[in-house]
Parts: sequence; structure tokens; C-alpha cells
Amino acid sequence: MKRLIFLYLVSAVLLAVSATAENPRDMRFPPLKFEPPEPARFVTDNGIIVYFLEDHQLPVITVEALFKGGSAYDPPDLAGLAEITATVLRTGGAGKRNPEEVDAALDFVGASISSVALNDYLMLDMRALKKDAELGFEVLADLLQRPLMDTAKIALEKSNRQDAIRRQNDEPGGITRRIFYQTVYEGHPYGRFPTLETVGEISRESIIEQHRKYYNPDNCIMAISGDLSPEELKTLLHKYFGQWQRGNMTISALPRAAMNYKPGVYFASKDINQAHIRLGHLGIDNKNPDRFALEVLNFALGGGGFTSRLTGQVRTTAGLAYSVGSYLLNRPLVGSFFAFCQTKAESMSQAIRMMLDIIGKVKDSGITLDEMNMAKESIINSYIFNYATSEQMVNARAFLEFSGFPPDQLKKDLEAYQGVTLEDCNRVASLYLDTAKIALIVTGNKALFDKPLESFGPVTEVSLEIK
Amino acid sequence: MKKRMIINWLMAWALMATGAAAQTEMQIPVQQFSLDNGLTFLVVERPTAPVFSGYICVSVGSAHEINGNIGTAHLLEHMMFKGSQNIGTTDYESEKVLMAKEDSVWAKIDEARRQLPYLKINYPDKVAEQEKYIESLQMILDSLAEASSQYVVQNEFDGIYTRHGAAEFNASTGYDHTNYYVSLPSNRLELWFAMESDRLKNPAFREFFTERSVVSEERRLSVENNPDTKLYEQVIGTAYMAHPYKIFWEWQSEVNNLTRQDLENFFRKYYIPQEMTVAIVGNVKLAEVKRLAEKYFGDIPRGTLPEPIYTEEPPQTGERRIDVNYESSPALYIAFHKTAFDSPEEPVFQIIQRLLGDGRTSRLYKALVLDKQTCLDISVGEFPGGELGSEDPGLFLIFAYPKEGVSTAEVEKGVYEELEKLAATPVDEKELTKIKNRIDADFIWGLQSNIGLAGRLASTHLQAQDWQYLLSFRDKLKQVTADDIMATAKKYLIKENRTVATLIPKISGEGK
Repeated sequence: MKRLIFLYLVSAVLLAVSATAENPRDMRFPPLKFEPPEPARFVTDNGIIVYFLEDHQLPVITVEALFKGGSAYDPPDLAGLAEITATVLRTGGAGKRNPEEVDAALDFVGASISSVALNDYLMLDMRALKKDAELGFEVLADLLQRPLMDTAKIALEKSNRQDAIRRQNDEPGGITRRIFYQTVYEGHPYGRFPTLETVGEISRESIIEQHRKYYNPDNCIMAISGDLSPEELKTLLHKYFGQWQRGNMTISALPRAAMNYKPGVYFASKDINQAHIRLGHLGIDNKNPDRFALEVLNFALGGGGFTSRLTGQVRTTAGLAYSVGSYLLNRPLVGSFFAFCQTKAESMSQAIRMMLDIIGKVKDSGITLDEMNMAKESIINSYIFNYATSEQMVNARAFLEFSGFPPDQLKKDLEAYQGVTLEDCNRVASLYLDTAKIALIVTGNKALFDKPLESFGPVTEVSLEIK
Repeated sequence: MKKRMIINWLMAWALMATGAAAQTEMQIPVQQFSLDNGLTFLVVERPTAPVFSGYICVSVGSAHEINGNIGTAHLLEHMMFKGSQNIGTTDYESEKVLMAKEDSVWAKIDEARRQLPYLKINYPDKVAEQEKYIESLQMILDSLAEASSQYVVQNEFDGIYTRHGAAEFNASTGYDHTNYYVSLPSNRLELWFAMESDRLKNPAFREFFTERSVVSEERRLSVENNPDTKLYEQVIGTAYMAHPYKIFWEWQSEVNNLTRQDLENFFRKYYIPQEMTVAIVGNVKLAEVKRLAEKYFGDIPRGTLPEPIYTEEPPQTGERRIDVNYESSPALYIAFHKTAFDSPEEPVFQIIQRLLGDGRTSRLYKALVLDKQTCLDISVGEFPGGELGSEDPGLFLIFAYPKEGVSTAEVEKGVYEELEKLAATPVDEKELTKIKNRIDADFIWGLQSNIGLAGRLASTHLQAQDWQYLLSFRDKLKQVTADDIMATAKKYLIKENRTVATLIPKISGEGK
């Protein structure tokens, strides 16, 4: 009898073990070991720095070409020049092809080239199937070296840009974003946006000059990945980019951003039933050694989605917003930090008060060890997703050099995140979060707000007049 | 062993890439198995970066909601992130008691509100008292939520994934399908199984009333204060009379009255193994996926297949026009009724969509943006969309944004000229070849990301009962002829089948 019971117990225990699924809360895994492939790096005779990662999984190739420059470098009276030049470079015809022929050549084989000007750099992207590699390289090389800058396409692009400016107040999110940057970067190129007038001033000559100044092989870093052998790539580069003349241009450095604005409330009137809110101030540049600790801190504050304080309190507990969080934008000439949310007009002040309290508390008392560990584990465990494909890998490596980082920076980043301590987090919180410097941007309908905006400080009404 | 697998895998992809001649040989190395309860798994082993994506596609969406309960599918999707009876709580039994109390207080609020209109007519002096009563109930509800919070481990479900390095962790509610997906480091495969099976087997819809508010904010953000979606909502609602596709997003009034019980009923009815497909793509092994699938999903019981949607949209009998006054620049949306995914005309529509709207050389872009310069932008889309088209007949849509000073009437005229050309003149071989080349190229690029491929496989399998329909549908696209295009344009892209919505700018303060 006794024995029987014993057996029964054993089998019950075994059953329980085999039938019970593990509780995910208790699961532990060893750190993931991943040695990403190292792209090849070489410099062509005319000075192009090339990064290359061979990958034959899919019959495709990608090229990304980065150039120093960007819209921050626009002359103030020609704001919009870098963007318009980038677009017309792509749309204005090149080499032996008029604009329509360039479009047709790429579209026919499902290849694409895009060209954009961002604040701090210029970038072209090319994607094509392996069988169309020659065509892709040929068109890309023509665009960079022999753009036609068709007059009619310039006129169309200028007119389209002006129309886009006329439409810039259609969406409250766009208004709020624009006013935030115009405010915290007052007097700095990062805070400048094209106007009807500056776009109107842009001439074909200024576009050609912009192209001549920036789009040069010795100002270019290329990231190439895909279904090519090193020999095939070298042949293509030699054939299409071998004759590209050096520019030998010096691009003068821009000043760093400094605080010129008055902290306080900036309000834009729009007849909507939500308040769009963005509040923050200047932040740190992209090489500041404190950026790792600040990233970890920001993750816990509002960057880490549902695990962050802002989402937990404003969304999950109070149900005040669908989208809420904070962002740390580290840029070469001083970045910015901001928190954001959109809430029904009737809970505007409740949401802002909550956000300011959360930021103030983190500044004063820092974060907890659990919050820091969550942030660090997440950043470290998900790091691989930034470099999961060859294209991401090679682009990331090229961008490191472009931004002036050492080649092993990716590894150093990981080590730096691992090394962040709670003391670091709390030190950077009190150093960089500054509630006294906050510019609070609100877009919405004043009449619906739960409390006057004045309760958050002096209010400046920002005109939405289109100039 | 490992090397050999890589070679096999690469060969399978290479076959696909050898061009038109090898179409029939094209394959994707999918391995499929089903559990006894009817749950199907699709697995693609990709021995590259040590990551994988898990994708669960459920055959239910907002089209399955009933009047009065609009928003159930979407709110349920939100509630699935609240954890389970194991995750997100320190004491589910105590929590359960409080949730039941919350629900009964809500029922009282609901009942008291229903009496208000009658009191207003017959006993106006009692209205204030009733409103006070409702307010006091609301306070009790809030205090119950507060009491529950002592047991809630807030956002723990999300927190576990986040700590383990999840990327692309989200869900989406469509009209026909609801999708749950995440990407993780490959050594976390068992975590994915444990997490996903737990929330499907032991759901707990905690923090219900605040989440209902969050969904309301999502609607305000995404629809009410966005000119594009505002116009979209109106054109969809006008084009459909009967079919549940007519509701572009949930109605605020209905979401505000959903109950936890509504969600539970919906969940039990539709989230059954036969109505779900799982795709796992990445650095995983089939044998391991099989073992874990049995362990974690094998004990979910089969369900009863839910009724299909019987409603058919009656044929449109004439042009419908609608103006939308909104504080925004002008826009023009034009919708035509089209077919369901299994119709022989569906591939023709997808070709027409590309002819008219895919890229700078597409007909509408070329004619209206580049040549006539009457539009700042123009594009073409389908509603409700999907790789293969929708389960029930959808819409073919044109979205046009006139340039400054150009009337929407002039843009509309320009659009119809292009549609007439499509019906009257056969498209030339070169243009058709261009489109077929682009379909090939897009197909190959679409294989690049784990999560993208997983989503395409799972939803195709659920919709067509066979993931390989992805390939045969692609063959159908390539067989479309110039005559097919003319016939379809003549039949569908006509005045009596269209709905035209115009956004008319309203200056702030006007119309009040």
C-alpha cells in the first residue's frame, strides 16, 4: 500500500513536469554570441571610401552613398537648396538620358534610386536585382557625375516644395514638430525651415553650384552589399566611377547650437479635439561620452515603450494617450531631448502635469536599479536587430566612419552600455534633464482645454501664417 | 551538417531567382505541420543572423464585429498585451474578484445612463440626482481599478519580451485578420512559445476601462485629427451600404460601451486553433519548433468554426458624391467597388493598380503630376487590402492632392481621362513587361526580412488555406493580358460604380 502510494506520487510529479509549460517569467537564457561579418574597406584612386559586404542569399544589390553636407549647410536665404538639389539630381535627367528616360530605365527592371538631403548629410540609395547591376551602377554614376538638372524639372520641384509649405499646417503632428525645432534651435541651422520665399530664390545656378561643391568622390563614403564578388564590384566601380573627378572642396564647419530661446509655453491654434504636446530642450551631441548612460536613463523615462515611466503612467494607468514617450536625438551639432503625447483636449493639462512630474522626479531622484537593468538588458539583447542583415551591417559600418568614429565603435558601444551604472544614470539625469529650460509646445483648441495653458508659464502664440 | 543545410537553402532561393524561364520551379523552403487541434505552423529555417520572427495570424477582424459592438476586435487586440492569468499579476484570484465587481459597477452605470433620456422627458427634476448617482458609481469604478492595481504587475508581458531583446513587437487589427508578431534573438525560441501560448490559453483582460480610453485616444489621433484618414473614413462609409467593411475605424460611441464580457465572447468564438496560423522564420530548427509547438500549443482544444459573414454588398446603382469640410488643404478620393481575392479579376486589379499608380512612370503620376502638373501627388490603393486582396469584395481607390490653385474638378477630369484610356486602348507589351518585371523584383525584395516573410506566409495560408497560393497568385498576376485589363476597366472603373469624396478646406472657426 505504502509502496503504491509512493509510485503514484512519483508518476504524478513526472506528469506534472512533462505537462506543465514553463512560466516565461522564470526563463533565463545565456547571452547570445554573435560575431557579425566584417565588411571589406578600401579607397578608390579618386578617393571614394568603399565598404563592401558580400552576400549571395538573395540575387540583389544595394548601394548607399553618403556625402558630407546637408540642409544645415544651406545659405539662410536659400533654405531648401540641399533638398531641392537632391531631388532634382534624381529627377532632372543624367548622362545620355533625359528625365523620363532615367525613370523608365529604372522602373522597367524594378530598380530604384532615391536621393535625399538630411540636416547633417546627403544620401543616395540604389537597389537593383543582381542581373541589373550594370544598369544600376550606370544610372547612379550618371546622376552623380553628369546630372542634367533639367530646367522644367527644377521649376516643378520648386513649385511642389512651395505647395508642400502651403500644406504644412494640415496635420497637428507636423505643426508641433516644426515649432519645437524652430524654438529650441532658434538662430541655428537645425531650426531653419524652407519658406515660400527662400524656395523661390533658388536658381538653377545655385543648384549646379551645390552639386559641384558636395557631390564629389573625395567627399563620399559608399556602403555596398549583396550578390557581387569583390572582383565584380571592383570592375563596376572602375568602369562607372573611375573617371569621377575629385572636388577638393573644403566644407566649412557649422557652429554648435546654443540655447537662445525663452523657456515657456508655445501655442499653435488648430481646431482639433486633441492637444498635441511636445516638451523638451537642447540635449547632447552624438559623441558625448555620457550618451550611453543617458540612453539607458531615457529608456526608463520614456524611450523604452511600455516598460518606461511615461507610457506606464500616462497611457497604462491614466488612459490619457495612445502614443506617449520621450526621445533623445543625439546630433553632431548638439541634439535635443523631448517628451511627447497626444491627448483629448479636456485632459491637456492633466497629461502635461503628469509628464513634467515624471521628468522632474527622474531628474531629482534618478531611476531604480530594476529600471536600469531592464533598459540595459533590452538595449544589449536587441542590439543585433540593428545589424541583422548585410545591408544594415555595411551601412552601419560606413556611417561610423562617416561620423568620425573608430572602426570598432559598434563593439565599444555594447561594452559602454554594459558598463553603465546606476550612479552614471542618476548623474546624467541631474546634469542633462532641465525642467527650467523646457520649451512646451501645444497645438490644439484652447476653448476645450481643461485648464488655461498659462498655468505652465508665459504663453507665446505661434503664428501659423504661411510665408 | 550545418554547411549542407545552408547549401540546400541557398539552392532553393537560387531557383527562384533564375528568371522567367524557371517560374514553375520557384519555391520558398517552407516546412509545414499541423497539430491535432488544427493549428498550422509554417517554418522557414534561415541560418543567417541569430534571430527569428514569430507571427500569429488569426482569421478575425473588424468585419466580424456586430452593430453596437464595433471596436471589439481592436480593443481585444490591445487587451491581449495585458498578460495572462500568470503574467502581469501577483494574485490572479484576488484580481478576478475585483474585475467582476468592476464589471457589475459598469453594468449599473450603463443601466443608469439608459434611464437618463426618459428622466429628462418625464421627471426633469430627477436628472441631476441621476447624474450624481452615475458620478458616484464612476468613483467606485475608479477605486476598484485602484484596488486591482495592487495585484497588477504593470506591462509585465511587454517587459519580459523587452528584457529579452524583442524587436518589432506589436500587433495589428485588420478587417479580415488580426496579427500578433515579434522578433527575438534565436536562443529565445522557447520564450516565444511560452509567452504566446500563455496569453492565448489563459488571457486576463485587466485594466480594461483605462485601455478602452486608450483606444479612444488612438481613434482621435489616427482618424479624427488627421485629414487623410478623415476623408478615407468618409469615402469608405459612403461606398458601402451593407457590408461590414463600411466602418473604416471603430465608432467612438460604441467603443465607450464595450464590456469585458463582449471581448471574452469574441475571443472564445474566433481565437480557436483551426482559425489561426503561425509562421516562424529565422535561425530556428524545425524539430525544435515541432517539439515546442506540441508542448505549448498542443493542449488548446479545438473550437467550433464560427459562422461566416453572410452580408453581401448590393451592387452600386449610381455615382455617390460626398463633400467633407475640414481644416486642411483640398484632396480628392475616388473609390470603385471591385472583387474579392478569389475572383479571376483580382489579379487584373492588382496589375491595373500598378499601371496607374506604381512609381514615377505610372500613368496617373506621369499624367497629373509630371505632365499636366495639376497634382502635387497622386496614388492608387486598395481597400481593405492584403497581399492577395481582401476576403470579401473591396474597393479600388485613387488618392489625389491638387496643386495650389487647381480645382478638384479639373483633377477629377484628368483622372477619368486616364481611366477611359485604360478601357479603350490595349496596354502595350513593353508597359506590361515593366509591370511584370516589377512584380518579380518586389517579390524577391519581399523575402528579405524575416517578419515580412512570416506575415505573408501566415496570412496567405489563412486566407487561401495554402501558403503556396502566394506563388500561384504571382503566376496569375503574370498571366494577365491587355484584353483582361480593358475588360475589367470597362466593367468596374465606371461612373455608376464610383464614390467621389472631396475635402473642402474649412477655415478655423467657420461653420460654428
